[in-house]
Amino acid sequence: MDRLLEEKFFKLLMLLSLAIVVGSLFMVVTVIVWKGAPVMTISMLTQTSKGGYYLGGTEGGILNAIVGSLYLGFGSMFLALMISLPAALALQKDYIGRTKAAYYIRLSLDILWGIPSIVYGAFGFIVMLYFGVKASLLGGIIVLTLLQMPIMIRAMDEVIRLVPQELKEASYTLGATKLETTAAVVVRQALPGILTAVLLGFGRGIGDAASILLTVNYTDNLPGSLLDSAASLPLAVFFLLSMPSPEVQQRAYASALVLLIIVLALSITSRYLSRRFMKNIIR
Amino acid sequence: MKSHISIRNVNAFYSDHQALKGITVEIPEKQITAIIGPSGCGKSTLLKCFNRLIDLTDGARVSGKIIVDDMDVLNHSIDITDVRRRMGLLPQKPNPLPMSIYDNVAYGPRIHGIKDKKKLDQMVEKYLKIAGLWDEVKDRLKSPASKLSIGQQQRLCLARGLAVEPEIILCDEPTSALDPVSSQHIEQQLLKLKNDYTIVIVTHNIHQAIRLADYVIHLYLGELVEHGPANEVFENPREERTRSYINGTLFTDLGIDKEVNLKGNACPYNFVYAKQALHELSKGKVLKLIVDDPLAVTEVPRGMEADGHEVLSVKQINRTDWEILICKQS
Repeated sequence: MDRLLEEKFFKLLMLLSLAIVVGSLFMVVTVIVWKGAPVMTISMLTQTSKGGYYLGGTEGGILNAIVGSLYLGFGSMFLALMISLPAALALQKDYIGRTKAAYYIRLSLDILWGIPSIVYGAFGFIVMLYFGVKASLLGGIIVLTLLQMPIMIRAMDEVIRLVPQELKEASYTLGATKLETTAAVVVRQALPGILTAVLLGFGRGIGDAASILLTVNYTDNLPGSLLDSAASLPLAVFFLLSMPSPEVQQRAYASALVLLIIVLALSITSRYLSRRFMKNIIR
Repeated sequence: MKSHISIRNVNAFYSDHQALKGITVEIPEKQITAIIGPSGCGKSTLLKCFNRLIDLTDGARVSGKIIVDDMDVLNHSIDITDVRRRMGLLPQKPNPLPMSIYDNVAYGPRIHGIKDKKKLDQMVEKYLKIAGLWDEVKDRLKSPASKLSIGQQQRLCLARGLAVEPEIILCDEPTSALDPVSSQHIEQQLLKLKNDYTIVIVTHNIHQAIRLADYVIHLYLGELVEHGPANEVFENPREERTRSYINGTLFTDLGIDKEVNLKGNACPYNFVYAKQALHELSKGKVLKLIVDDPLAVTEVPRGMEADGHEVLSVKQINRTDWEILICKQS
């Protein structure tokens, strides 16, 4: 009887934890939709902000922040992916994975993962000052890339390590080289996990405010080139929420809602893609 | 008898453990050679030396020479991908690649430079037919290989291995994960293939060795005990150990008289408990021991043999546990 009671108690406890998770997520989404949806108009999405964000202007929309964030988010995701995938593949047992160096690389990546983004921002700022570059889209993309790389590499590394050794052996016994095996078998088998890693990095990149505060700054205008300053959704939330007027604050919630929708859309797309790729995966 | 693979004084080590001890033997061309012996005796290790798959194991070292077509496989300056292409491997557990049935077979030819779609189509069909799988899959070549049954997967692996046009087929207990019907299927394919290929099969199934082999190599605890034509070895083994292995394996099919679980016991206690258990049995009865101490895997059988008992088999049953079968003699 005691054990049955215990069983029930712990089951309840687990369900309670789940309820807290789902409940708080639901509340976050509800508040943002409730506050942001009423001001979500076509002009909000198609016009740039007018009247100066720092003056609390309520004219125009948040197009400048949406465009800026898409540039920053996808630009840095793409750049980080280009560097992270080869790096994660190099950490395989077949390349340098067995060495002491790989152990220390993993350790330093784990530490980098935990470094607050404002520190990346401060670092980027100092480097840009040194080279005499002003706050720009390019600087932001590079800093966000640095921010995402440890996440992507470690997340990819974990899934790549899960690729069964027998699969690689099957490829090697057919006379394949390491590169052929990696490209045709390892990447294919680990693809859903690699997509998840990319998404993790993207989520962190597009949602980060602190690192781009100093490196990209904020503006009402659309960026004309990579060397221009640009607006971004997280910073729009930050600046607009700090204004006293409720009308301006509502625009902050609209920005948060757009940010949420972008992340959600990418998440659903990657789910769909990975299900298509999953077809051939060996379980 | 023409030799195809010439093994000269091959030693293999995993860290400190010596898995192969000075093996010297010739493997005949276009025949089926069975490597028999209890699990843990080095059979699979020897096979892995042929295509140097052993390189992928942490802390593994190999010395000696393995000559195939005037080329020393163990020489690290040769092109290992070429050596591996000449030797197809049929693994213990089927391991289809994460792609379609068609791509699994076409994978090998593609990496060796065949790009022509028509040629690839022909090769896929040809080798799926040889492996006896074509009729079952010809309508769904684009579907994932993982959707096939395990027996079909193993035949797919055979077709995939043959598609790189090897001269030698290595089989590492190719039927141990299969049901009896699928096993029979694989055995029949191997018998057909021996006219064109040199086949080396590792097996702990003595019946399978009797059914398939033309030539037999018996390994025990890393040593070469006996080798020779199959009929001689099976009917009239020169070595006592071969005789008892063959008889013992046939004998254990009759049943186990007592089972003792020695997991969690270290040497020498597991040996003492095993002796006590054996004491209660009469002569000719079979005792099954389960051990998880790596030292016990070699030391218990040695001790039992020193006491005059007969060790029938030593077999790894999962990641940590080993099964030792002992027949009481004195």
